[in-house]
Amino acid sequence: MERLLVSPSPHLHTKTSTKSLMRDVVIAMIPAVIVSVLFYGWSELLVLGVSVASCVLLEYLITKYLLKRPCTVGDMSAVVTGILLALNLPATTPWWVVFIGAVVAIGVAKMTFGGLGQNLFNPAIVGRVFLLISFPTYMTDWTRPQGFIGGGLDGLSGATPLGLAKEGGVAAIEGLDYMDMLFYNIGGSAGELSAIAILAGFVYLLARRVIRPYITLSILATVAVFSGIFWAINPAEYTDPVFNLLTGGVLLGSVFMATDYVTSPMSNVGGIIFGVGIGIITMLIRYFGAYPEGMSFAILIMNSVVPLINKVCHAKKYGRA
Amino acid sequence: MMKTFSIGGIHPSDSKISKDCKIEVLPVPSKVFISVAQHLGAPATPVVKAGDQVKVGQVIAEPAGFISAYVHSSVSGTVKSVGPRKDLAGNNMTHIEIDVEGDEWIEGVDLSDTLVTAIPEDNKAILEKIKMCGVVGLGGATFPAHVKLCPPPGKVAECLILNGAECEPYLTSDNRIMIERSKEIVIGAAIMKQVLGGCKTVIGIEENKPEAIAAMTAAVAELQKTAKGYDGISVMTLKKKYPQGGEKQLIDAVMGRQVKSMGLPIDVGAVVQNVATSLAVYEAVQKNIPLITNVMTITGDCLPMEKQHNYKFRIGMPLSYIAEYAGGVPEQAAKIISGGPMMGKAIANMDATTVKGSSSLLYLTAEQTVRGVESACIRCGKCAEACPMGLEPFLLQKYARNNMMDELEENAVQDCIECGCCLYSCPANIPLLDIIRIAKGDVIRIIRTRK
Repeated sequence: MERLLVSPSPHLHTKTSTKSLMRDVVIAMIPAVIVSVLFYGWSELLVLGVSVASCVLLEYLITKYLLKRPCTVGDMSAVVTGILLALNLPATTPWWVVFIGAVVAIGVAKMTFGGLGQNLFNPAIVGRVFLLISFPTYMTDWTRPQGFIGGGLDGLSGATPLGLAKEGGVAAIEGLDYMDMLFYNIGGSAGELSAIAILAGFVYLLARRVIRPYITLSILATVAVFSGIFWAINPAEYTDPVFNLLTGGVLLGSVFMATDYVTSPMSNVGGIIFGVGIGIITMLIRYFGAYPEGMSFAILIMNSVVPLINKVCHAKKYGRA
Repeated sequence: MMKTFSIGGIHPSDSKISKDCKIEVLPVPSKVFISVAQHLGAPATPVVKAGDQVKVGQVIAEPAGFISAYVHSSVSGTVKSVGPRKDLAGNNMTHIEIDVEGDEWIEGVDLSDTLVTAIPEDNKAILEKIKMCGVVGLGGATFPAHVKLCPPPGKVAECLILNGAECEPYLTSDNRIMIERSKEIVIGAAIMKQVLGGCKTVIGIEENKPEAIAAMTAAVAELQKTAKGYDGISVMTLKKKYPQGGEKQLIDAVMGRQVKSMGLPIDVGAVVQNVATSLAVYEAVQKNIPLITNVMTITGDCLPMEKQHNYKFRIGMPLSYIAEYAGGVPEQAAKIISGGPMMGKAIANMDATTVKGSSSLLYLTAEQTVRGVESACIRCGKCAEACPMGLEPFLLQKYARNNMMDELEENAVQDCIECGCCLYSCPANIPLLDIIRIAKGDVIRIIRTRK
């Protein structure tokens, strides 16, 4: 002790850092990643690898050579975007399409806005939606590649349950076993395979206090209530709540995408409004829109009103009832 | 269900390493330097000059205003000088230097261990004694105690809250006095309660101090059985959460009421006093002992168990003397804190001396205390979740960096209690409180000039 440090209080600091939070999100996605790799095999590994590697590399190159700022890949947020993007694509997506998705996610949606913390829209979803609109054939190719397990489903092609429902109405999805869907889905993006795997990640995020439950739960509740009302009125026309909760991107989106710190409201009340909005828009698209699934669009639309929500919704202050 | 405050708060490790170290009395050094600024408000005016002979407990400085306090000599001997000397932050302040000769006390002081349980009837005389003995709040703010005990006309005290939360990590001095001087503290509480018109009295203690809770509960029960004036005093166990000991938070936890912005606790019928203040009130009123001693904790993770201490010190003792006596400053110490790690002050000058409100020498290692590099705000909202005042630090710091004074005021920067929860919680190492503290000062100045 030769010189004493002097600084204003507080003198202690939490161990939680941006990096540790991002690492926790990565850990929370591991169950979904494992399930997707088990069922979709090498092609899913390729999608994941290309997505993560290009997201990290792109952020490195952009910060270093374009922005000439300190490199930020160490905070692991690019890894999170990479995994999320991969989980939002069909396992059959060609590597160069994945790469374009990464360019849009990191290059356009994240870094153009100023990098982590500045982006208005969730980078992974922007990447996915860009691909969905630009390469609809690849993005709706639900051929199931050879997985490491479940080989019996090999080569099975066709639409997702949501796609079937959009085309053929409720009759087309009759006979679907909801228990199957809980553990592994019949078709869809790689990360949407297993509801249980996603929920395991949700529980982990809550336990580690990475996220608060309000956004996720309000999305799920809204989807359930909205579809519940329509289904109760006309079960022959509208799909039921359980189907709507377990299919498509509702779970993946509500747990990992809508809860993104940067692009969601700060307050709990704001989070609930945000979640209800996402739930309603998702269901409107599913029931009345041109696309079978609306989760991505719903999140992007609600992302855009987050600044407004933040302006209106504030935390309850002490002594200012 | 244990009670706690309703908004925000954090759960840092409480690190009460020295909680079992009994209070030891520090020997008097050969020389003391007593500051005239030992309290909130105007520094006191010295009434002694070089060459004067003083006794222990003699007034050496008088209050220089309504919010000010008497300062007494903590030693007997000769005044060597009265002049500027650096305090622990390195700022110059008038100190009275006294060469110690013997230990001769003023007349009328009762230094025996006999417990005086009978409470004097004359409230005016009690308040006068508290004032003359220089009693100030020892919970951190060092606000003159007698001022707080005289509610302004029209305001009635409904509840006296004794603050035994000691929510700051590491500090254990309140814990020790609650265990070792429990009856004296309860008597002090009963005195204050009587002065306030006999309101209900609650002693709030956090759950991590079971020994103190037991001792205080037993002391209350015994005094209620054996003496008069102790009805309506109770001990309340509180859930461990920082900053429970914040005045506003404690009122919320104990009474379920919230003080309005810029308001005073008495507006909701509350008066909050620290347990150490209660002990000082006991000594002043029942024993005629002015406030010249207090208990401080010597602690830190880098100190071996045998070097952890709770010391009864006298005001004016050089910190370096105390550190030396306790076994020296540990090699690994990078920062030394006076007070808790959340709200205490980093010591810039170990030649500074103890004051009435000194509560610790806390040694922190570089690994514990050096802040990480600031990175971008990821808008996680953890600062807002942690803020016990329900403020939005992420927003306030943005407004502050852009000098947006109207927005700062609208978003209640003036309500900030500087507890440090926001800066503690921020995963991006943004110096939230550093920035907000400055903005708060500016906004409060603007509000004052408007009036």
